Parts: sequence; structure tokens; C-alpha cells
Amino acid sequence: MNGLIAVYRREVLSLWVTPLAWVLVTVFLLLQGAIFYSIIAHFTNMAEVSADSGPLQTYFGQESIFLLMSLLLVCPALSMRVFAEERRSGTIESLLTAPVTAAGVVLGKYAALLTTYMLIWAPTLLYVVILRKTGVVDWGVVGSSYLGLFGIGAAYLAIGTLMSALTKSQLVALLLTIFFVFGLFILGVGEYIFEPGLFRDICAHVSMMGQMEDFSRGILDLRRIVFDGSVTALGLFLTARVVDSWRWG
Amino acid sequence: MIEVTDLTKDYGTVVAVQSVSFSVGKGEIVGFLGPNGAGKSTTLRILSGFLGATQGTVRIAGHDIVAAPLAARRSLGYMPESAPLYPEMRVSEYLLFRARLKEVPRAKRTLAVSEAMQRAGVAHMAGTVIQHLSKGYRQRVALADALVANPPLLILDEPTAGLDPNQIREVRALIKDLGQDRTVLLSTHILSEVEATCERAIVIDRGKLVAEGTIDELRARQKASTVSVRVRDPNANAEAAVSGIPGVSLVSTRQDEGATERRTLTLALDTGVDPDATIERIAAGLINNGIGVHALVPAKASLEQIFSELTQHERESETHGEKKDEASS
Repeated sequence: MNGLIAVYRREVLSLWVTPLAWVLVTVFLLLQGAIFYSIIAHFTNMAEVSADSGPLQTYFGQESIFLLMSLLLVCPALSMRVFAEERRSGTIESLLTAPVTAAGVVLGKYAALLTTYMLIWAPTLLYVVILRKTGVVDWGVVGSSYLGLFGIGAAYLAIGTLMSALTKSQLVALLLTIFFVFGLFILGVGEYIFEPGLFRDICAHVSMMGQMEDFSRGILDLRRIVFDGSVTALGLFLTARVVDSWRWG
Repeated sequence: MIEVTDLTKDYGTVVAVQSVSFSVGKGEIVGFLGPNGAGKSTTLRILSGFLGATQGTVRIAGHDIVAAPLAARRSLGYMPESAPLYPEMRVSEYLLFRARLKEVPRAKRTLAVSEAMQRAGVAHMAGTVIQHLSKGYRQRVALADALVANPPLLILDEPTAGLDPNQIREVRALIKDLGQDRTVLLSTHILSEVEATCERAIVIDRGKLVAEGTIDELRARQKASTVSVRVRDPNANAEAAVSGIPGVSLVSTRQDEGATERRTLTLALDTGVDPDATIERIAAGLINNGIGVHALVPAKASLEQIFSELTQHERESETHGEKKDEASS
């Protein structure tokens, strides 16, 4: 794990001194603000609200398709440059000739992406504060919803990190990542399309929307967490192997 | 400090480095010399641990780069060709990051960074964002990076490429200075660089080692030295006058511009003849033929010439299908 902390610190700095993270956070918050506003506008016109489908549950759960669509762009854009840019500009040579291990470099970079991802989400806590001003907030739901988002982000970013390691072009990394995470997302939609059976069960199991629906009701399904964790671990393991393989290129 | 044994690197169809063996002792400044595309960068990348070798072993400060990669990399400071840096970082930020990456203890980091900046001459640029630096300064930041952990061995890939003459002079002086208390291996295709900074040179061409030795040893390998003679030659018989002198052959004649009577002859002296006595004979021969001698300049055997002979020869013998190992001859 040599180099993890140094790489992590540089990567976070690098993400936030360049416009990328700021552009992403701006676009992301505009989208989330619009979604949240429309949900609130919808609920203010309703006479009665059941405890299970308040604005929070709608935002994180039933209407999570909007939220996930924005993640399908934000995560790949966040991860696209992480290795591709180092290889294009040649800085990878200085990085890998320092006393570092492939695991240290990959985990350091990935942890920086995950931190940035969480920072991008952080302002949405204001929505919860706003709701708290006017009503009751179920903190368990808030916690499990953010955990669900964390899991999805972790998986998407691990896929993105791997794709960025596979190419020297940021654009190719972006497109490949979108292809894979969108594929995963579409596979989840299969839950509503296919006849009951094994394939539908698989679709339901990997469904990001299903995950958010569960988590937004406060249902912490371990299988979902294991799935997110497996995608993340596989992505990072493969990335470390790819980084090692550059020595033999 | 560096021991390379039978190093080979092939990229599938292309063999970049072929059975190269050499060693660099402690405290030496060694030039790694070769024309473009000779396999210099590939070799240095293998030494620095960036690339893996197809065959052969490399030991850095006693550590095998495959068995103990971290220990080997800890003992060297590597400056890649073209000095890649993160453009968005400030100079001091970047060096602090590199010091952290190279495991400089926390308490010594700030000091190590400021010392490295001082030595590389970028201390006054500490707060500048790297993308605003000129090529020369970037090169020096990369050099400061190689120095920051104070390694006993420096591997510099073309440290003066792309610099202006003043900067080249400064960097060479710096390398000489650094070489006083550590080992330096630097690659270059510029021969005067080796003459100016190195005690010893390793010459590589097309992936093979063609010569190795001190500058004087290499110079001794030269086949012929030349003399350039500027004359006033009204009867145009200078060529005839020198042609009879034993051990001398005419290389070229050049008419001086604007003066029809003046010309410059380049003469090659055969190996084995005493150069001083031959030059005397040339002067006497010219004067006896009524030719005015304006200048008689023996060309010091330049490394340029030796270099082109070494690398040229290798090429010829290859086209003749002979496998000749220059390194062992």
C-alpha cells in the first residue's frame, strides 16, 4: 500500500484545483435542485401523505431514476481522467518509479474519487434540513438512502477507474464507463420487463433503482451491499493488475 | 551502484535492447550515449523500474529490481525524458507530494523540498503553477524531484534536451556538482555533453552495447585524426604537394569564398604515424612548393567522430551479415 496517502492527497487537490469537480458539482446540484423542487411542489398540493412515501422516500426511492441518470454522467466524468491523463502526459512514469505499489496507487486514486463523490453529494443534506424545518424527518431513512448512494457511486467509480486505466484517452474512458454503467442500469430495468424467472431475478438483484427503492424505505438488504462491494472490489483488483501490466508493455 | 547483466527487452517484433551488460560504480558520472532510437530510454526505464526486462537482471545499489523493487526504487532518483509534471500543481506542492511519495520523513520534508529547489535553481519559482513554467524550469523541477529524497543514485534521461545554451551550461555544472557525492547515470545523444560532464561513457546503438570506457579510452579508439590547412595557393598545386607525404591522405578541398587563391584542405593522418612529425612534413612540403600557409590546425579527435565511427561500423557489419560484438573487442 506504499504511496496510498500521498497519491490520495494529490488526487483530491488535483480534482478541486481544476475546473472538473466544480463543473460537475454545479451541474449535479442544478439537476438535483430541479428534481427536489418538483417533488416538493408535488407534495405541497397533496392533502395527505403516508409515512412510507414522503418527499425523502420519493427523492431517494420512487423517483430515483432521475437521480441515477445524473450519476450515470457524473461518475464517469469524475473518473475518466484518473489514469488516462497520467498516461497521456507521461506523469505515470514518475509516479510508478517512486517506491509505490500498484495497489497503493489504485486505492489512493480511487479513495480520492470517492471522497470527491461524497463532497458532491454533501450539499444535498440541505434538502433534509429544509424538510426538517417543515416536518418530521426519518433519520434512519436518510442514513440508509445515503448508504445506498454511496454503494452505487463506489461501484460506478470502480468501473470508471478500470476504464480509465485501459486507455490513454479521457474521452474513450468516459464513453466506455458510460457504456458499462448504463448497461448495468438498463439490466436493472429488466426487472420490470421480463417474465418472472431466473433472468428477472438477476435483473432485480443488480438493479440500482431497486436498491434505492429498498434503501429509501430503510431496508438495508445485505445482498445489495455485497453486490456493490463485489463490483467495486473486482474493478479495483483488475485496475491494479492493469497497472502492473504496463511494465510489460 | 548499477549492475546490468545480459539485459534484453523486446516489444514483440522489435528488439529494443539486446544482451546489454554494464556496471556503474559508486561515485561515478557515466554518460549513456547513443543515437536517437538506440534504446537509451528503454534501458533507463528498465533501470528505474518503469518497464520490465524480457531477460537479464538489474541490481540497483545491491537490490534486484524484480525481487526487491521498492528497495531498488528508494535508492534512485529518476528523471524521465521530457520531464512530465502535473501542470495544475505549484512547484512546492508538487515537490512536497513527491517527497511524501518517496517516503521522506514528515519532519524533514519541508527542508528536503527547499534544499532540492535550491540545488536545482527553482527556489524563486516555488509558488508558481507548473503549467506557467518554461521548458527549462520544468526540466529543473523534474531534476529537483529526482533530488528530493537525496538518493545515492541519479538516473537522468536527456537532462538537457530542449534547453537553451545558458541553461545547458547551468544544468551541466549542476550535474558535475551533484556527482561529487553521488552516482549519476545520464543519457544523451549529444557528445559534447559527455565530454563536459562525464568521466566514463557507455555507447549503445540499435540496442547493443558498442563501446564502453573513459573518454580517453574512447578517444584512443579513433582510427584517424585530421589536420585542417588554410593556404594561399596561387598555382593550385597544394593538393599535389601534400599527396606525396607518407601517412597523409586528402579528405577534401574547399575554395575560400571571395578569395580565389585561398583554399582549405582537410587531411587525414593514418593511424600509426607520429602526428607531430607528419604535421611538420606537411608544413615543409607546402612551403617548399611556394604555398603560403595561413593556418595549420590539428583537429582534436572529437567524440563526434568516434561516435559516428562506432555506430557506423556496427551498421556496416550488420549489413554484411556478420555478427560482431564490438563490446568484447
